[in-house]
Amino acid sequence: MLTTAELEALRLSLQVALIAVIFSLPAAILVAWLLARFDFAGKSLLDAVVHLPLVLPPVVIGYFLLVVLGTKGPIGSWLAETFGIRLVFTRWGAATAAAVMSFPLMVRAIRLALEAVDRGLEAAARTLGASRLDVFFNVTLPLMLPGIVAGCIVAFAAALGDFGATITFVGNVQGETQTLSLAIYSLTQTPDGDAAALRLVLLSLALALAALFISERLARRVARFIGRA
Amino acid sequence: MSPQDRLKGEFPFGGTARSAKGAPMSDRLRFDVLKRLGDFAFECDLDLPLAGLVALFGASGAGKSTLINLVAGLLQPDAGRIAIGPDVFFDAKERVRLPIEKRGLGVVFQDARLFPHLSVRANLMFGFKRAGARVLAPQVTFDAVVELLGLATLLERRPHTLSGGEKQRVALGRALLAQPRLLLMDEPLASLDASRKAEVLPYIERLRDEFAIPILYVSHSLDEVLRLATTLVLIERGRVVAAGSVAEVLALPHAQPFIGGGGAGALLFATVQSHDEHYALSTLACDGFTLRVPRLDASIGMRLRVRIPTREVALALARPSDVSISNRIEGVIDRVQASDMAGTYAEARVRVGPSAVLSATVTRESAERLALAPGLRVWCLVKSVALDAGALAAARGSVATPVALREPANDERLRVDDPPR
Amino acid sequence: MRVRFFAAVVAAVMCFSAGAGRAQNLTVFAASSLQNVFEEIGRLYQRKSGRLVRFSFAASSALARQIEQGAPAALFASADEQWMDYLQSRGLIVNKTRKSLLGNRLVLIVPVSSAASVELRPDFDFASLLGPDGRWVTGDPTNVPVGRYAQEALTKLRVWNVARSRLVRAENVRVALAFVERGEAVAGIVYETDAALSKKVHVAGVFPPDSHAPVTYPVAMISANDGPHAREFLRFLESTEAREVYRRHGFSIR
Repeated sequence: MLTTAELEALRLSLQVALIAVIFSLPAAILVAWLLARFDFAGKSLLDAVVHLPLVLPPVVIGYFLLVVLGTKGPIGSWLAETFGIRLVFTRWGAATAAAVMSFPLMVRAIRLALEAVDRGLEAAARTLGASRLDVFFNVTLPLMLPGIVAGCIVAFAAALGDFGATITFVGNVQGETQTLSLAIYSLTQTPDGDAAALRLVLLSLALALAALFISERLARRVARFIGRA
Repeated sequence: MSPQDRLKGEFPFGGTARSAKGAPMSDRLRFDVLKRLGDFAFECDLDLPLAGLVALFGASGAGKSTLINLVAGLLQPDAGRIAIGPDVFFDAKERVRLPIEKRGLGVVFQDARLFPHLSVRANLMFGFKRAGARVLAPQVTFDAVVELLGLATLLERRPHTLSGGEKQRVALGRALLAQPRLLLMDEPLASLDASRKAEVLPYIERLRDEFAIPILYVSHSLDEVLRLATTLVLIERGRVVAAGSVAEVLALPHAQPFIGGGGAGALLFATVQSHDEHYALSTLACDGFTLRVPRLDASIGMRLRVRIPTREVALALARPSDVSISNRIEGVIDRVQASDMAGTYAEARVRVGPSAVLSATVTRESAERLALAPGLRVWCLVKSVALDAGALAAARGSVATPVALREPANDERLRVDDPPR
Repeated sequence: MRVRFFAAVVAAVMCFSAGAGRAQNLTVFAASSLQNVFEEIGRLYQRKSGRLVRFSFAASSALARQIEQGAPAALFASADEQWMDYLQSRGLIVNKTRKSLLGNRLVLIVPVSSAASVELRPDFDFASLLGPDGRWVTGDPTNVPVGRYAQEALTKLRVWNVARSRLVRAENVRVALAFVERGEAVAGIVYETDAALSKKVHVAGVFPPDSHAPVTYPVAMISANDGPHAREFLRFLESTEAREVYRRHGFSIR
């Protein structure tokens, strides 16, 4: 039903989105924590920067990534020299672009979950001998779980769908960066590519619906587990 | 004779600060703190031995919860010092601030605060697992707590499936299992309805008597305080008004506004002396006199607290014989004063034993008619019918702590002495 | 009050959409490699005739597909004959206006920092030019003309199988040029005229003309948007003045 190239695009899309979510999760939790629990000079700036990928055109984000993380960019050249890591034209770069685009969605969901945690419970845990870190891992985090799950799934879906940032930053390399969106784009330019494009479009639709469905179910399951249902 | 002289060394139930289990002399809480809360300044200077159940009583907003939160570390003082025994929790000058988790306290909150993502068992063990070296020779074991608080059937359940009363019992158990050196209870029964309160209260009594862990108990309910407290501290707007044993404090004139004129009445300690099966009555031995009460389900020798509402006490100048009232107690009037603004009532305080005081509310007219005055010998008449189960409560186990009562001068530091060994 | 507001919104939306169909504006779709040369020609034309020409530059494949969907272009200039054939076979152009005006050469470029120079003959060592993990870039060979020429040339020179796994597909030749300029790609295949525009790339070799179909730029009128102004511009494209501009930019004249 699907050609090898199309299957490759599908597998790559899933891989890239998964990596993007896994690596941005700790950062998202940290940022959500900072924004939810503290007041500091520059807080609104941090908030604005985190939300930029939501409001800026994706191509702008992609271009910015290229300038900073490209082989000649300040961080990109350091990465290449010190670790031999190159991001442009690679799946790691594609994951980076996807991660940046979906980061604000993850932070929003996690921040909401964090704000919903009863601080009285955290105080009670401290009186029972738990240090602040202990409280975070054994009380706060478990109670935030439904929100974290929801955030991850939304971010995964957004990462799957990215186009502008990916194509601008890491280009269209079959097998490395040609995710579903890029594959569909290529097919729409190709003569007689409509049938294949349609197949991939339907596939993307199915993935998106699956993600939403799973997100609902999982969030409810987790909520029951932590005694909120 | 000042109250101090009168009372020193004459506490009827023993003069040593020892719990029923013979634990050694208790730690003292030294609390000298200033905390600004909005436009209200909380200032409190307190020096208390921690043994039995110390009740902090006062109206809402008096600062009782603030005190508990400061001791627990949930609030930080602006200035001052807090220490329990040799351990300093906070010292503004020395810049000491012990974090909450290192204070070794157990806190029971008004809203239970059980962790919803853990089972009852896991909740109970939460503090136990973090008690460090203290669990090597635990003062409180899991099985003892489960048995004492009746939690066996609840262990594998989740908090959201429990009733309010059950939640509070688990909260009590959880705080106990953290092996605390002091239990802080901040109005633990306030959010429960009457029947739940009645369900949980006996567990707190048991807890007080079974474990040698001192309790600092905050409440605005006189009922709870009278039933549970061994030491009573009255707080108003952040200042300590009086502190001492329950009986003593309640007998103080400036404690009356807290108690509400005529409501609570006197508190006496008594021992069950005998039961009269024929008449279904029991006799209680008090300090120098006896009381006849409806038949109790209590064993001989059991110690009880008896509350005698002031409206149930009538006065006579001579011992009446042709009257239905069974309890006729001889005493000497300590003081008489008008007790309301309209001038209808007068309250007479009568000393009926070395440390037992009864208060009687009579009409001012009667007081003048009988020429009631300090020093006058009178008879207090108390109907047995008035002394039903509601007026009686257990007073087992560790009881005999704070003794010498002092009424503080305005700025004087209030210290409650340990009784002489 | 509310009715007036609503009417104003509707009027604004209509103005926005009405602008697209103005007969006065001339829209020309042209391949990316024609961007600089056509913009200059457009300026010249405006000075002479007072009429503004709007251009849309992109890969010929993208433009052809858009025209097929009904894009309002009056003229189409493609970078290969195939995409013009595509439109012709669908009856979308005025056949007798079709002319191939320009030609170009295909070159292999490298970032200016690289001193590489390669003689592009059969079995040339593309692998060592690329190194162990380097990538090269050109337009997507499935549809972009420059990519098709590149694939044809490399196949003829028998290095396509080595090259294909390292290919980065760009949407059009200018994007490919940009990747080489930035040094992200170690090599690229673009037109000679594109390479000449950039100081950041250096021509490592020129593909022999017999390795690929000649690079020609057919131009034609789109039937749906035929008009006197469009015809006039087409004539200008064939004028001596225009040829001077083409030559100056490095195109060959046919």
